[in-house]
Order: sequence, then C-alpha cells, then structure tokens
Amino acid sequence: MDLETFRRDLTDWLDANADDLTPPYEGFGSMDEQMAHYAHVKRALFDAGFGRYGWPESVGGLGGSPLLRAIVGEEANLRGLTDPNPWTMIEVLAPTVIEFAQPEISARFVPPFMRGDEMWCQGFSEPDAGSDLASLSCRATKTDGGWLVSGQKIWTSFIQYSSRCVLLTRTGEPGSAHRGITALLVDVDSPGVSYSPIETMHGRLDFAEVHYDEVFVPEDRLIGEENGGWQMAMDILPYERSTTFWQRGALLHRRLSDLVAQVSASGNHSDTAAKTLGQAYQSLMAFRSRSRDTQHRLDSGQQLGVETSIDKILITTAEQQLFEAVRNLLPGVIEFHEGLTAARWRTDYLYSKAASIYGGTSEVQRNIVARRLLDLGPES
Amino acid sequence: MTEHIDADDLALMAASFEAVMAEAPGPGEADQALYDLGWGELLAAAPGPAAAMAFSALGTTGSAATLLEDVVAHALGLPFSPDVCVLIPDTFHAIPAAPQPGEPRIFNQEEPLEVDGLVSSRIDRAATVVTVMDGKYGPELTSFEAGFLRGRGATGVDPAHAYRHLSVRVAAHFLTPLETEATWESAVAAARVALAHQLIGGARWMLAEARQHALDRVQFGHPVASFQSIRHKLAESLVQIEGAASVAEACLHDPDPLLAGLAKSLAGQAALTTATHAQQVLAGMGFTAEHRFHLWLKRTLVVDTLFGSANSLPAEIGRDLLTRGTAPRLIQL
Repeated sequence: MDLETFRRDLTDWLDANADDLTPPYEGFGSMDEQMAHYAHVKRALFDAGFGRYGWPESVGGLGGSPLLRAIVGEEANLRGLTDPNPWTMIEVLAPTVIEFAQPEISARFVPPFMRGDEMWCQGFSEPDAGSDLASLSCRATKTDGGWLVSGQKIWTSFIQYSSRCVLLTRTGEPGSAHRGITALLVDVDSPGVSYSPIETMHGRLDFAEVHYDEVFVPEDRLIGEENGGWQMAMDILPYERSTTFWQRGALLHRRLSDLVAQVSASGNHSDTAAKTLGQAYQSLMAFRSRSRDTQHRLDSGQQLGVETSIDKILITTAEQQLFEAVRNLLPGVIEFHEGLTAARWRTDYLYSKAASIYGGTSEVQRNIVARRLLDLGPES
Repeated sequence: MTEHIDADDLALMAASFEAVMAEAPGPGEADQALYDLGWGELLAAAPGPAAAMAFSALGTTGSAATLLEDVVAHALGLPFSPDVCVLIPDTFHAIPAAPQPGEPRIFNQEEPLEVDGLVSSRIDRAATVVTVMDGKYGPELTSFEAGFLRGRGATGVDPAHAYRHLSVRVAAHFLTPLETEATWESAVAAARVALAHQLIGGARWMLAEARQHALDRVQFGHPVASFQSIRHKLAESLVQIEGAASVAEACLHDPDPLLAGLAKSLAGQAALTTATHAQQVLAGMGFTAEHRFHLWLKRTLVVDTLFGSANSLPAEIGRDLLTRGTAPRLIQL
C-alpha cells in the first residue's frame, strides 16, 4: 500500500473520531486512566483496520509493510492520543515472539495483545544483571511438561497491567553467560509470581520488582531454542530501536512544537531563545532522519543490528536536549509552576533523565559503537 | 549523459573524482580534469546526487577544487561556465554602503557599493563575479567583471587557499542585474547541502586517521584504542557524523531550505566535534605540520563559515520555527 495514501486515510479517520480518541482525562492522567485509554485507542484502531496493517495474517493482521505500523504509532502519539510507553511493549515484544515462538502460541496470544485487550511485559533485567545482561541468574529447571522458574527480576514495566511476560531465564550452568539463557512466555497470573511496584522520581509506578517462586511454565511456551534466548534478546533490541523510537520521536516532536508555540506566544524572539530551539530541533531531526533510514532498511528485509546503537544515542541526546531547552526557555515552570501544563512539562523533564539509562545506557551504546562499528579492538 | 544516473554509475564517478582530486589537491588544480570527467554534464543531469558525490570527495581528499561556484550557478539557472566566480556574502547579504537609518536599502544608487565576502581561487581566472545584494524588495542578484579582483583577498588560516576574504567597493554602474527566475534562497539551499557533504567527508577522513592512530599507538602496554575515554570520543564522533549524513542524504532532491540549513548546521557541528576529538586522540602528532590532520582541521573551520556556520545556523533555524509557531516534520517515512 502507498504510504501517503495510508497516512491520509488514517489521519482522516483520526480527525473524524477525535472526540472518541482524545483522552477523557486532563493532562497526563493517572496510570490507570492512561492504560485504560491506551487499550481503548488500540481497540478502536484494530476495529477500524488501521491497527492490523503491518502485522502478519497468522496473528490476525492484514499484512503489509511494518512501516504502516510505524505510521499509525507516529500519528497517534503525535496527536497525544496515547503515551508512547505502553505502545512500546507490543512493538518490542510481538515481532520477536511471532518470529521465535511456535505458530500456535503466536496465533493464540498475539491477537489480544494487538487489539489492546491485554498487555505484556518484559522480564530481562535483574538486580545483579543490568548493563551486564548475560550474567542473569533467574533459574528455569526442567520438570514434567515444562519448566519451574525461580528468581528475581527488576524494572519490569507495566506488570500490574500485564497478562503475559517475556522472561529470560538461566537454563545453563551458572557462569554459562549468553550461552545458557532461555526465553519463556509466562502467564503473569501463574501461582508463584509476585511483584511490588517501584515508584519513580517522576511520581509514577511504571515498573516493579518481580519474584518468581517455583512458577510452572508449560513447555510450549518456549520462545526460540532452549539455551537460545540470547539470540532472541538480541533480535528484540533492533525492534526496540526502530518502530518504538520512531513513536517516541513523534511524542518529542509534539512536545517541541508545544515549546515553540509557547515561546512564540510569549514574544521571546531573542537570539538565545532562537538558538536554543534551533539546537533542540536539529538534534531531533538528526534522530528522525536516521530513524527513517533504519525503518526503511527493516522494511527492505535487512537484518538490523548493532548500528541501531547510533539511533539510541541520537534519540537520547535529542530528548534530554529538548527538555533542558524547556527548563531554560520557560524559567520556573519545571521548578515551581502549578497547573496541568507545568505538571506535564515537569513529568516529561524528569522522565527524560531515564533516557540515557533504559534500553542500554549511553555508555554501553558507545562501547558497542567503538567495538562493533569502529572496530577498535578489545578494551583494556 | 542521460537524465537517469544510477548508483553504480555514481560510485564509478566518485572513484574517478577522488583519484583526480587526490592527485591535484591545490586550489583549482583539479578543475580542468573534473570538467573532462563530465562534472558539468553530471551536475545538469542530476544536481543533487552530483553535488553529494563531488563534495563528499572534496571532503575526503582535502581537495581545493572550485566546484561550489558551479552548484550555485546551476541553482541560479545560469549556464555551466568555468568563467563564473561566486562572491559568497560574509553575512547573509552584502550591505550597500552607508544606508540611511530607516530608509529601504536601494540597490541602484550612485555611490559605490561595499562588497564584503568570500571567493574561491577561481577569482584569478574568472571573467564574471556573481553575488547578491540587499535590494529594495529583498535580495537582488547581480554580476560584475572579475578582472580587478585577481590576486586580491586574504587567505587566512587555510594554507591551501580554498577561499579568500574580500572587502571591495564596486561602482554601481559596473553592476548588471542577473536575469533569472531562480531565487537566492534556492542557491543557498543547494550550496548548504553540498557543503554539508564536504564537511561530512572531511569528518570521516579525520575519524579514520584518529582511529588508525589509536590502534597503532601503544602506551602503558596497550594500544590507546583500548582506553574507554578514547573509544567514547571516537564513538561520539561517529554518532554525530551519521546523524548529519542522514539529514544531508535526505536533501538529495530539491530540499526544503529549512532542511538544507539543518544539514549544514549538523554537518558543521559533527565536523567540528570530530576535529576536536581526533586532534586529542592524535595528540602531539596532530599538532605538527608533518601530519596532514591540520589541513583538514583548517578546511573544516573555513567550510563551516560558508553560507552559515554550526554556530549561526541554529538561531536562524530557531527564528524560522518561532515564525511558523511549530516544528515541521519535514522528513516522512
């Protein structure tokens, strides 16, 4: 399908249904409100057909290029219909599950995820396995008809709203590093799963610490090969850095436009204001252009890999520069001002501090660029 | 030369261009050989891809071939000619001498006009100078005979004399308005994109030199490339180069002037960052005249100043955003 025709049909439909799709709450909303509205928007998009393009027919999609999915996410997030964070989960997890899990498992579990009827989460990080993910220790042992999982995970976003978790477990010997990791699709309501939310500094309960205590997982829930989970995890990262970054970029574009409009209306056309905005915009456009190239490579069937670390560094730079520009051009707003607009700027400003941490820190990304793209040999 | 030029043809041309430029890197030395390779026909057939290819080659080889005049002349709708030299306004426009406060600036006045700007070495053999001045209704394109400017101008920091600074007075009756439908804005956009490719090509050369040095140079018993602070400097350079290169490549065909400004600004920033990091990694060697690094550093400084720098463009871009009241997306999937 022609991308511009698709975009026009989509934006016409979004305009026609704006009343139904606009969040019913003011400002950022509570987590519960945000998640409920996200589910509502996803369901509406699915029913109208737009939410099914770019997904294979085997999971209830209508086929077509993944670029169609990216356009849906871009337009929805640009209009502020949803927050990009819950949207991230399906774009990160579903393509990989479709590729690696048994077809029956994908056909059963992906459609409700795509419709917004259920949410999934991602159980990768552990208290002692952050940047060094391959050292994870949450253990899965073989039992009759499946596995028993015991261990601890951390930073698991949205688990309190989730039905399913894509979990990385240790199935090899301790110390087997990336060779002994297995990925499983776990039902969050299984006996033995317990979690306690962690409050973030921007006042949200985005993520949780999760305990798995002899949790039974049926054998058909294996994603990929036994001890082949590292390959699946590495396959996820490029998805995380293509479609989902594009959507986050759309949110940043919206927020930059908000800032431009606010500064423009205030009459501050000083050189300093112009330069600060120009710098924020150019960083965002460097990301946008790069991300566009990345998605066209994905669309043409190329395997995305370590070069997406560049996309990650570019969007992190753009996001943090944008919200520092907000703080500098709207003095006192982040620190003191009351009201929904200020609260939203404050939340976004504080959340931008996480950008250089999650999904692989900026330092880890630069290590990857140095080792894999510049071929600088081992570190001493 | 056909209208259609495919990627393979362009890659072959790029190799020939680089070979010619590397052979004769001095000011204007390679020009004739590049015309013989078909630079004029290529520019006419596919201006965007031709400029991208040729200016990347200028960047990687450090050549001071004078091709910018041709890009500007083409964008202005002028015929290809090695006899045309462009005077690039130092500020956005050259300012006529002594305008009265509050009065519109008038181009056709009796007093001589102060012309302040940059020219390439082509000024020594060109017949005509093309430039832009503030006219009554906006920028006005004009031309005058080049002869009296031969050999003049300050060459400054760049030892290969890629560009010179001129400040001259021209009697109004020497000036001939240019007859063209094209706008100065479109010429600025074309020049900015071409120069962005040159800056990126230069940045890639500097990064490659620094990378090789880091692998070869052993201190404390290890190649210095094994130290994280050096790795991160080089990684950051590559990240900026790739971001800028992507925007420059998005400008291949008839770019929005705002996007062309972004490309030039990002390329200038990437090249300046890479120059700083590469020099630090090259350490003492990068400070010598013996290592060729200094030629690229100096060329980066000069090319960054042409048609708006990484320091001046963000404010120009930001003023554009403030006028629009929004941040346009410009690039679509």
